[in-house]
Amino acid sequence: MTSVIDHPSAIPHAGPPARRMPLSRSVLSGLVVGLAAAIVTFYICHLVVGPGSVRNTELTLAYVAWGIGFLVGIGATNRPLSWALGRAEPTLELDQDLAGKGQGAWRYFRFTTDHKVVGVQYLVMSMVLLAAGGLAALLIRLEVARPGAKVFSIQTYNTIIGMHGLIMVVATIIMITGSFGNFVVPIMIGARDMAFPRLNALSFWLLFAAVPIFLSAPFFGGFQTGWTAYAPLSVQTALGMDAYSVTILFFVFSTAVAAVNIVVTVATMRAPGMSWVRLPILVWSAVASSTLGLFVMPAFLASQYLVVLDRTLGTGFFVSSQGGSQWLYEHLFWFMGHPEVYVIILPAFAVILEMVPVFTRKPLFAYKVAIGGILGVSGLSVLVWAHHMFLTGWSPTASGPFMLTTELISIPTGLAFLAAIGTIWRGKVWLTLPMLYILAFLWNFVIGGVTGLYLADVPTDVQLHGSLFVTAHFHYTLMGGAVMAFLGGVYYWYPKITGRMYDERLARLQFWLLQIGFNITFLAMFYVGLQGEPRRVGDYANQFATGNAVASVGAAILAVSFLLFWYNLLVSSRRGVRASSNPWKAKTLEWMVPTPVPLENFEEIPVIREGPYEYGYLPTEASLSIEQSSEPESAR
Amino acid sequence: MLKASKEIKVVGVIWVVATVAGVTLAIFAHRLLPGMLPPAASSLAKSQDFTLGLFTVLAVPVAMLVWVVAAYSVITGGSRTMPTDEGPRIHGNFKVQIAWLVSTAALCIGLVVYGLALLPSIYTPSAGRNLVVDVTGQQWQWTFSYPSYGNVTSTTLELPVNVPVTFDVTSRDVTHSFWIPAMGVKVDANSGVVTTAYVVPNLLGSYVVRCAELCGLFHAYMQSPVHVVPMNAFTRWISKRQATNA
Repeated sequence: MTSVIDHPSAIPHAGPPARRMPLSRSVLSGLVVGLAAAIVTFYICHLVVGPGSVRNTELTLAYVAWGIGFLVGIGATNRPLSWALGRAEPTLELDQDLAGKGQGAWRYFRFTTDHKVVGVQYLVMSMVLLAAGGLAALLIRLEVARPGAKVFSIQTYNTIIGMHGLIMVVATIIMITGSFGNFVVPIMIGARDMAFPRLNALSFWLLFAAVPIFLSAPFFGGFQTGWTAYAPLSVQTALGMDAYSVTILFFVFSTAVAAVNIVVTVATMRAPGMSWVRLPILVWSAVASSTLGLFVMPAFLASQYLVVLDRTLGTGFFVSSQGGSQWLYEHLFWFMGHPEVYVIILPAFAVILEMVPVFTRKPLFAYKVAIGGILGVSGLSVLVWAHHMFLTGWSPTASGPFMLTTELISIPTGLAFLAAIGTIWRGKVWLTLPMLYILAFLWNFVIGGVTGLYLADVPTDVQLHGSLFVTAHFHYTLMGGAVMAFLGGVYYWYPKITGRMYDERLARLQFWLLQIGFNITFLAMFYVGLQGEPRRVGDYANQFATGNAVASVGAAILAVSFLLFWYNLLVSSRRGVRASSNPWKAKTLEWMVPTPVPLENFEEIPVIREGPYEYGYLPTEASLSIEQSSEPESAR
Repeated sequence: MLKASKEIKVVGVIWVVATVAGVTLAIFAHRLLPGMLPPAASSLAKSQDFTLGLFTVLAVPVAMLVWVVAAYSVITGGSRTMPTDEGPRIHGNFKVQIAWLVSTAALCIGLVVYGLALLPSIYTPSAGRNLVVDVTGQQWQWTFSYPSYGNVTSTTLELPVNVPVTFDVTSRDVTHSFWIPAMGVKVDANSGVVTTAYVVPNLLGSYVVRCAELCGLFHAYMQSPVHVVPMNAFTRWISKRQATNA
């Protein structure tokens, strides 16, 4: 905890910003050291293992060396090392330098501890990953627009679906908790930074280090397994699989570090008066989803660690002829895999519930019930994983209990919905972009949730499991739900993050294209799924041609919409109308600080006197002015 | 602005109308979209189609409640400009919360009980003598053999109509999934273990076995024909196979 927050009083008399752009401790030095480490490791291993073509032992170790080298190069280990070597305590200047003080845009390319910098880094990374995953999705829809494998070889197609899957999973896990969890949550609770600022930077750069590893997979033959990477297929597939496994190792460390940080920050750094029942719902869900991730992601790490051992040392954990079991892999994978969708969706619920009161000018309906819903979903979510295994033959006896837990989870989920529609009911609905996304979320997620029931029910799952119906279902929840909430959140916090407003007309056009394109694509996918088309096929029978053609048209509309989205965000960040510090007249703390938010957020830590959603007129004082409560000093 | 009690009545009426419309649509959806469901060639598939329809009918009122409340509030209280006044300061409503919790819980438990009641139809064989078919998946084809007929093997699946079948499914390599969409039967093929699935084909015709678990390069092409034929035709086919196999 040797961060700038230890010296808040010293900010005013810190020296003038140093105009220098040191290449050390930046992404450039990271790349150099990382690449050097990878190349050296690769050749040493190659010599040790013996001549011949590239094998997965040296490739795997080179990937790991790249990641560690990159982190050393970017300076992640500087502080721990100097501490271990007994060097002097860091000074305020060093801490503020580490927080990016006076480094302009360069601080985004360094090992910077300021939570707002980390938040923006995560936001940009989410966008880059969504773009990469979206491009892969477009290629998939291009290939399957017509029957026959026409555009890519089947091998390339299979690699593309796997890359689309994992990139999107990572993007959706980080998009809200990484971006807004870092940028907004500390301000929301009245803190000057995260509890462990250096761990915060570490979590982002661990993720960053994993990205090039994963993107290298196609250069080593890709992988044929899809993102679920079922063993023993993953044990026998090409070298590209190593990229997948090592990516997961780094990614799980990244999520663990980030999760610990968020939980500790919220537990220990809330401003005076910010009791647990005055916490904004986004904070609750950041804690809930981080805790959940901390609990389940290690299973993913374990699964990939064992796959690496199977592939390099022939250990056979998942190979039945060696006494292993494919079911072991499936358990480890889904023990992470199903809670992981709640790691994605809980922050999305929260972003929606965060915005609903603002744009209906009403308090959040049944705040404590909504929190109960979020906690209920987190708790139940670790008990549902084997519904992915109803048809594996693993244990028919277990089907009943897992069907029960899976369907029970719709009860707490319903509570979050109650909070949303209860708040909208009789509200002064302000139809801004964030509000439109709230409505889109309600439309899409209801469809996603309802279709989940068919899959939770074993008798109908027998038919639908492994079909495109499943694909359509989880896109309705994760894209129609979570990504819509994220985009709404981007528009909502855009003026706070950039200090400018987006182009409203362009954003509205983009919104409608997105909704139309999305619903066309995935309603058509439900249709071919019901018809009996399996998932993850690059070629199919003629009976599925109509539905697939329609879905591909929808995908093209989606692509146009996303291009408009990024164009709007980029151009508006330079040329948009300047935004006030609280353009929505919202009441959570991030809107009480100036824009751009200064380093360490608050000159004086606010004292909290009421809950975060005290909108609406009181029957007794109907003329309660909203300006009154938005002055910085009163701080609610 | 209308009084709350009046508004609840208006929304209630809209909700009932929307629900009736939605339920009607759900019931006739498969007529409007021919070919949406595969031909139900077993009672299992028929029962699944019924369950799909039933769940849709039950889901409509829930979905409509969310959508109607949201749409009504937006249409009556929405504006593109910043509202000049605040909405009512309602923090919750105990009765509404309890009613919501009880009704969603009742619906959910009902669905679970319904699902549990149908479980035996998947996991237990039909009464009477079952025709056993050993199914082996390997990259990337299916092989079927008939142990009660001297282990005759074939790459097409031939089944007599109205005779209960037990599939004993395994894999030679990676995980596959044995799926006959028309019959609503599916089980994974795992290397080193035998999994079972049961069905009674009851509709003559030609269908297809597909692999439903990504199994590598040619997963998309891992399919075989299924023929459901009269018993005498099946007997003829099997003796011909026996002759060629021997």
